[in-house]
Amino acid sequence: MADLTRRGLLAAGAAGALTLLAGCGKDQPRQQAVDGRPHGEVTVWLHGSQDTGQQFQELVHRYIAEFRVDVKLLYLPVGQLDAKLLTAFSGGAPPDVFKIGHWSFPAHAKKKRLAPVDTKALSLQNYEPGTTTPLTYQDVPYGVPIDFNPCMLYYRKDRFEEAGLDPDKPPVTWEEVAEYSVKLTSRDRSRVGLQWLYGDPQWALMMLTALVQGKGGELVAAGGAKASLATDQGRAALTYMSGIGNPKLSNPLGALGLFYSGEAAMVVSGAFLGPALEKLGKDTLTFGKQYGVAPMPTWAGGPPVVPAYTWGWGVAKDSPNQFTAWHLVNYLQGAPSVAANLDNGIIIPTKGWRDAGPRGKSEIMKIVADSLPHVDFGPIIPGTLELAKAAAGAVDSVAYGKSTPAQAAATFDSTVRMVL
Amino acid sequence: MRAGTILRAVWLIVAVGFMLLPVYAMLVVASAPDDTDLRGLVFNGFHLPENIRLLFGEANLPTYLRNSLILCVGTGVLDVMFSAAAGYAMAQLSFPGRRVLFALVIGTLALTPMVLVIPVFLIVKELGWVNTFQGMMVPGMISAFGVFLVRQFALGIPKELLLAARVDGAGEFRIFARIAVPLLKPALITLFLVHFLAQWDNLLWPLIVANEQELWPLPVGLANFQSEVGFNYHLTTTAALVTAVPPFILMVALQRYYVAGLTFGGLKR
Amino acid sequence: MSVLDGVRARPQATAGMLGRGRTRPQATAGVALTLPVAVFFVVFWLVPFLAAIYLSFTDYEMAGTPNWIGLANYERMFADPGFLNSAWITVVYTVCTVVPTIVLALLVAVPLSKPGRLNRRLRALVMIPAVMPLAATSMVWVIIYSDRGMANTLLGLVGIEPQSWLTSSDLAIWALVVMVVWKSMGLFVIILTAGLQALPGEVYEAAAIDGSGAVTTFTRITLPLLRRTLLFVLVISVAGSMQAFVPAFLLTGGGPADATQVLPYYIWANAFPYEHMGYAAAMGMVLLAAMVIVSALQFGFLKGGDE
Repeated sequence: MADLTRRGLLAAGAAGALTLLAGCGKDQPRQQAVDGRPHGEVTVWLHGSQDTGQQFQELVHRYIAEFRVDVKLLYLPVGQLDAKLLTAFSGGAPPDVFKIGHWSFPAHAKKKRLAPVDTKALSLQNYEPGTTTPLTYQDVPYGVPIDFNPCMLYYRKDRFEEAGLDPDKPPVTWEEVAEYSVKLTSRDRSRVGLQWLYGDPQWALMMLTALVQGKGGELVAAGGAKASLATDQGRAALTYMSGIGNPKLSNPLGALGLFYSGEAAMVVSGAFLGPALEKLGKDTLTFGKQYGVAPMPTWAGGPPVVPAYTWGWGVAKDSPNQFTAWHLVNYLQGAPSVAANLDNGIIIPTKGWRDAGPRGKSEIMKIVADSLPHVDFGPIIPGTLELAKAAAGAVDSVAYGKSTPAQAAATFDSTVRMVL
Repeated sequence: MRAGTILRAVWLIVAVGFMLLPVYAMLVVASAPDDTDLRGLVFNGFHLPENIRLLFGEANLPTYLRNSLILCVGTGVLDVMFSAAAGYAMAQLSFPGRRVLFALVIGTLALTPMVLVIPVFLIVKELGWVNTFQGMMVPGMISAFGVFLVRQFALGIPKELLLAARVDGAGEFRIFARIAVPLLKPALITLFLVHFLAQWDNLLWPLIVANEQELWPLPVGLANFQSEVGFNYHLTTTAALVTAVPPFILMVALQRYYVAGLTFGGLKR
Repeated sequence: MSVLDGVRARPQATAGMLGRGRTRPQATAGVALTLPVAVFFVVFWLVPFLAAIYLSFTDYEMAGTPNWIGLANYERMFADPGFLNSAWITVVYTVCTVVPTIVLALLVAVPLSKPGRLNRRLRALVMIPAVMPLAATSMVWVIIYSDRGMANTLLGLVGIEPQSWLTSSDLAIWALVVMVVWKSMGLFVIILTAGLQALPGEVYEAAAIDGSGAVTTFTRITLPLLRRTLLFVLVISVAGSMQAFVPAFLLTGGGPADATQVLPYYIWANAFPYEHMGYAAAMGMVLLAAMVIVSALQFGFLKGGDE
């Protein structure tokens, strides 16, 4: 009896507190731009990048001068972006524009936090076909891509030579990758052939996507309602991954560092890695000499599957100034940006992006362009983050010998069943 | 006896030396010209001064430093004031609600702050404090630790002393200000230091509340700096060394007081 | 102050009794001195806490209206391998950081508490790790733990094979523990040094006359006398360890293969970015209950050693 009363009181108090708290965020009538003219104030949250930061700021200043719009930029540490953005959303105080990973779009869209792309301010026709799909949820486009990265294979020519492999013939199939990796791996496994990115959910999901779909399997089925690794293809993928690489190798710079030091003779990465390697040590590693790139491998006779990710610009549904927000995004994605980003190996996939600068003609960018028809962004579902976490769990537990591929696949299935 | 003394000195030097090894690694990395050698073992030239100059030139380090000082000193002083008052009252005065309040304060010690982030943010927003100094400062202003610490020490103030003051006709506030505070001074300085250090390292809350870089304290600035320059260990480590200087100076300067401070409630009663 | 003037020079025992030996000036002063703290804790702790309790019984996903789902979140926990794994890691982490920190701090503090110029210098140096920002020190520890870093180099000197500190699911937790012990030791050395310096010198003189050895003196005299300080240090460090989230977040990101995913980290991940706020709140409440029990045990000890 006394217990009940106490619980009643507690609930009443908590409910009262919550009502008080939740009251905010629903006020402020959201006025829209009456005409197609940008105006007012726009806040933008993004993570910084030294290479393109300067150019980006100049662009924003030009926009401010040209359109008399007050743009407020806030650079955020990439590791804390989620916490900041989610708190702001649930507190009803989101920024107008933000840059987030494509894997975050479906969840935000499902929770009705995103404003659809305003086609009066921004034309989606300008983008390479397929590159806006991961930013589209239930047929509604919610964002445009920046920093688009399809996977490709980086390999160390010098390591190939040492191992008696032809430095100009990178592996084309996963079978060859395995074969070469055996030759490139030292007895104590301190030097390996292909090295995976362990512990990284997004990359684990991408690799499993490539290996499972490439064998004709399906990682995610029924429009995102089901996911499974407990299939022939799923178990084969886990077995394959555990046979290559060494999860215990470590380097402060991660796989980039291992590739730079030569401990890893191959890594799967994106277009950004080339410039990053150049920046790290120009004298040590030159493209075409010590290292080269190749398209993402396929299974022998199998279809090409190129996993990819992208960041994207989104606009908050609660933004009072959506037209201007999209107008600004469109401006920030314009030709000068495409050129400056490309110069740093960062791709804004608007049509004709390769002609924006000399780097567009590079071998890396040719691989990117060629892989466009085969790009696979993985499942576009609200539970992507947890799915990816479960994928990393499966890959890592097999790699560390904690479970067999079959066990890991079963664990994966039961974990994601709770999520999807 | 002599052998014992030498043995003690050797052990101490070895132990402290081990504690300083990571600091050595830090110096090595912070003095490097780039990130090509990340073992932190041997100096590859001494580029620390250049790295520091680079930092002060490019990043908003001076702004972050200023904000951190405002945040840490501001909340530190407030915490000391309020904790001193409440801790003393809870230890030495009899008033209604004393036990409830003490339970409330101690209870918060066991509460995981991460489940409170959203509710506290909503309150801060309701108060109109998003993107302000008070928004960053006030929610972490008073620590349960501080109130608890002061109360424990205040329990050690001899009752006779206070009684004598009352007999002499001193009012309660006067007794607090003139007798208790001086006696608690070492404990309060200790509290100030602990609070300062905790705030100096506080990343998450300021990041969530502040929407302009102008308001950022050091940890947020450093975290951002790290993601801005990408793979850049040597400059971030340089920044870490620079930011450790103010709390270290404070520590050494106040050493005399806080060492004495913690002796008070200990045994001498 | 005029209210207080009314009771001037009157013996305390007879001055305006308000029951339970309470006097009006004391009550007034007590309320006035604690009022700011009371308001603060109600607004910034109690109200959010009640909100969190409420949320722990809902399916709140950081959007829309929370729906009451009763005990479902609490039931879910005990079927969730992630939670059970994290809870166990938190136990290991807490025990293995608290005990070595205090033992090592004591081993350093005892000789360090002796007066002398060398000791004064060393006391300042001991504090350096404590004043380093954790975000940056964790980067340095990544370097120390790398394949050819300081940890392996030092072990190589005594003939131990290089280890994969942060990328081995067996070793990562110990790598984390070492960093945390290093970071938190300095403050405890200082607190213990202070406690030791307060010990009455006569006791030691008596022990010396008795001809007690150093070890006997330490276990029979120093430790019992230091009990209060030790328990104070214990309470702080246990509470700190059970809530620690930042070190694992920064050094290992909970990995490899969830080997360093302490409970506060798991709670954090469920809230941000997975948005299971209701579930996170429920786990927070369980952690709270565990901490209340552990604290109660310690307070029992503290009381026992007090009077």
